[in-house]
Amino acid sequence: MSEELDLTKLPTEEIVLQIKDDLYDGLAAEVVAAVKELLRRGLTPYEVLTGSLVAGMDVVGADFRDGILFVPEVLMAAKSMKAGMEILRPLLVETGAPQIGTLVIGTVKGDIHDIGKNLVAMMMEGAGFKVVNLGINVDAEKFIGAVKEHKPTLFGMSALLTTTMPYMGVVIKALKEAGLRDDLIVLVGGAPLNAAFAEEIEADAYCRDAAIAVETAKKLVALKRGV
Amino acid sequence: MTQHYELLSGDQVLRIHEASLEILDEVGLLVRNAQAREILAAHGCRPQPGSEIMHLPRAVVEEFRASIPPSFTFGGRDPSFDRTIPGDSPVMVTGSSAPNIVDPLTGQERRARSEDLARIAHLVNELPGYDVFSISTLAEDAPAGMFSLTRFYAALKNCAKPVRGSGPPEDTEKILQLAFTIAGSEAAYRAHPFVTHHYCPVVSPLTMDFDSTQMLIYYTEQGLPCYPTIVPNAGLTSPLTLLGTLAQGNAEFLAAAVLEQMVRPGKATIYATLPTVADMRSGAYAPGAIETGVLFVGHAQMARFYNVPNGGYIGLTNSKLNDAQSGYETGMSLALGLAAGVDMFNTGGLLDALMAFDFAKAVIDDEIFMMAKRAKRGLEFSEDNLALDLIREVGPAGMFMDNAHTLERMKSAAFLPEISDRDARAQWIERGALDSQARAMRRVQDILTRDNPVVFSAEVDARVRAKFAGLVAGDSRPPQGWTHSAPPARRERTERRRREAAGQSS
Repeated sequence: MSEELDLTKLPTEEIVLQIKDDLYDGLAAEVVAAVKELLRRGLTPYEVLTGSLVAGMDVVGADFRDGILFVPEVLMAAKSMKAGMEILRPLLVETGAPQIGTLVIGTVKGDIHDIGKNLVAMMMEGAGFKVVNLGINVDAEKFIGAVKEHKPTLFGMSALLTTTMPYMGVVIKALKEAGLRDDLIVLVGGAPLNAAFAEEIEADAYCRDAAIAVETAKKLVALKRGV
Repeated sequence: MTQHYELLSGDQVLRIHEASLEILDEVGLLVRNAQAREILAAHGCRPQPGSEIMHLPRAVVEEFRASIPPSFTFGGRDPSFDRTIPGDSPVMVTGSSAPNIVDPLTGQERRARSEDLARIAHLVNELPGYDVFSISTLAEDAPAGMFSLTRFYAALKNCAKPVRGSGPPEDTEKILQLAFTIAGSEAAYRAHPFVTHHYCPVVSPLTMDFDSTQMLIYYTEQGLPCYPTIVPNAGLTSPLTLLGTLAQGNAEFLAAAVLEQMVRPGKATIYATLPTVADMRSGAYAPGAIETGVLFVGHAQMARFYNVPNGGYIGLTNSKLNDAQSGYETGMSLALGLAAGVDMFNTGGLLDALMAFDFAKAVIDDEIFMMAKRAKRGLEFSEDNLALDLIREVGPAGMFMDNAHTLERMKSAAFLPEISDRDARAQWIERGALDSQARAMRRVQDILTRDNPVVFSAEVDARVRAKFAGLVAGDSRPPQGWTHSAPPARRERTERRRREAAGQSS
């Protein structure tokens, strides 16, 4: 994709195809330019989001599942999606369009292993979610503060250590006591977890990897909104 | 003379050392633990203003790494099981802290419990290939506040070999009190510690954490045996080149080792690693990959350059079953590490990338360990072993099997496997046509249905149970329905002779 394309000379439907290709190839600057061009032509932010970005990432997701794309390629695509979303998000709010949603995510207290959690955050951005990444060693108080501030739809926790994973239960309890639990979809993940553990601590779902986390998040958000 | 399989020239070893020094000095380490930052700063490291990053100048690293001793000893509850590396290499260890176990009756994976740990400890004590028992699993039934106590009690009660393990900071006092109580007193324990404390204080890339770093400092201050393992994952937490991962991992080892030396100069440690390459197709963690074996060749060379004993998690597998993948992944990397002069192997008993313990896998790994120990003996070069006189005596078209020379060596020249099948096909069919998994489970059953010879004496157990109310039973009892099958007549005769021989000599 190194040849210079003059976007202003392309028909709209070709720009849409071009965005999908650029997402697939992880070309953030090109995605941003094309998003701006479509908005300039009068497409609504919601049309650009669903018709170009989400549709493009669906292809990325499918090819990852089929083993055609490798993880680094998916992450580059997700970064491009995020760049496009940064332009669209304020406009979506202004126009009152349906929001994809916000995720508050962190690695629980005592644990500083956050690579997996960061992968999930990137993949969720790739699906268009706004992600508030609280980082490592996050205690219940900090989680609750972030929920109050950002009013997320999704709430994610991770732990790699078997000694730190019980703390997820502590956080969920604290969310309940603060009256915040019922408004959230709580997702948990990390190597030593399993579905039984998620059920035991009353999370909504255990996600065994980043791709499953995205799938689960989309599914549960749709269910919650009655779509 | 010992020669090792090597991949780096002398110049290349120096280049990696230099690169590691450059990383530590210029990039530095993010040190989350405040005490570690203070210790580093007090010994000449530069804090980066406005951050928790510490820069370790090359002169400081060079000065402190020079005081690392060349050997490390694992102490056992029974001192005859003490093992020192590199002298006793290869020292074979279980893989540790899997949350799950493959149930010996149903074959289904489930959370591990304290009675599982007791059986595993019993098994490891009896299998001759194992030198050190690193506590294999967690224990879901541990009473509240007794997580580490439960694990260490079940392990120490049933295994007299050196025990290796870890626990969160709040469990430290309980673990030590347990050890003191077993030994009879704090002084008795300190004279001969039988627990080696192990932590992963460095989270790649180039970050020291809060708790594990704290524990490494604490046990080092206490003068109790401990060491760290460095765990980079290429493509995710280190560069996606084996060489870049080697240089970064080497820097991370130096950082942890230098911190130990600052706390206690002359403190023994191990250059221990678990380097992996992430599977770029899915991001999967792949400790069974051959690249881990290749990385170990490099780390072993770096460890020899520093004159520090080396080892780590090598020969693990991603397989969910005790199948061909499990065997070839363990075998390939382990053989590579053995040839490269790795001193210690944290390998035995785990499937599914450290997620689950499997009894049959533990037995097959024991057999692999015995093969490795035989391989380490090598060709045993001597004029006597050349056997020229014998070749002359037997001559062309002769036969060696009916010779006294052969008879004297028939039990020692070759390792005699317990699991590998060498029967003729008809005989194999007569004996049930069992595969290695079934033969391994038969050995598990044979061991676990016997009394455990090293279980705590009634007196020691009473002392421990009086001190820690509410402890789990921690006994190795055979799974339901397992009974002791009469050993084959051949083995019974062998054992009777061994007992008689022991009686005569004493």
